Amino acid sequence: MIDAINAAASVVDTPLSSGVNSIASRRVSPGAAAEAPAADFGAMLSQLASGAAGAVKTAEAMSLAGVRGQATVQQVVEAVMSAEQSLQGAIAVRDKVVGAYLEISRMQI
Amino acid sequence: MYDPLQAALKVGSSGLEAQSKRLRVVSENLANAQSTGRTPGADPYTRKTISFESEVDEAMGVSTVKVAGIERHRAPFRVEHNPGHPAADAKGFVKLPNVDVMVEVADMREANRSYEANLQVIKQAREMIAMTIDLLRSS
Repeated sequence: MIDAINAAASVVDTPLSSGVNSIASRRVSPGAAAEAPAADFGAMLSQLASGAAGAVKTAEAMSLAGVRGQATVQQVVEAVMSAEQSLQGAIAVRDKVVGAYLEISRMQI
Repeated sequence: MYDPLQAALKVGSSGLEAQSKRLRVVSENLANAQSTGRTPGADPYTRKTISFESEVDEAMGVSTVKVAGIERHRAPFRVEHNPGHPAADAKGFVKLPNVDVMVEVADMREANRSYEANLQVIKQAREMIAMTIDLLRSS
């Protein structure tokens, strides 16, 4: 009886602990990956800004092509939409990062 | 790995493109519903049909839709007795296009509905992306 309970407990136990391990390992990896490419804050911000600016430039070029009749309405709308999307994403991340930075600078020493 | 929401946007956009081509074909058929030949016994405009097929997008691994081809409809031409017409043959019969306006209008309606459905997919995917980005802001 006790053996059976122990066996059941070990069966229940293993997936749990392995699950925790896998979560822990997952938690470690993105942090390491994020730290590697943009080591400093300014570089990261400029990366974000240039990505958004590139998307906006593409959208502008596509709009001009649309006016000249070389692109369909659908293509113009898609380019503008994707530019808007990446801009919104970049702005949201920037706000978050700047907020965190201000939070640190406001810390009492 | 690609963003499934971006993939949905791409698939929806391929649907929009396919349906706009379909509407283009319908418009050609409707506009040419009365187009006859110019010489005696000449063939009139032939109705065009469009067919679609699925295509796997290699970059994202999703099935988009594309136009498989635009073919000529094989139905026989309508014939009308009109001896004075330039395209009338020796017996005075003129061949008219094999376009049925009612069928074209139904096809147009279907293209419209299909376009709407694909547009709705794009709208929904965009909304979901925007909602997810908003998670960053709300705190």
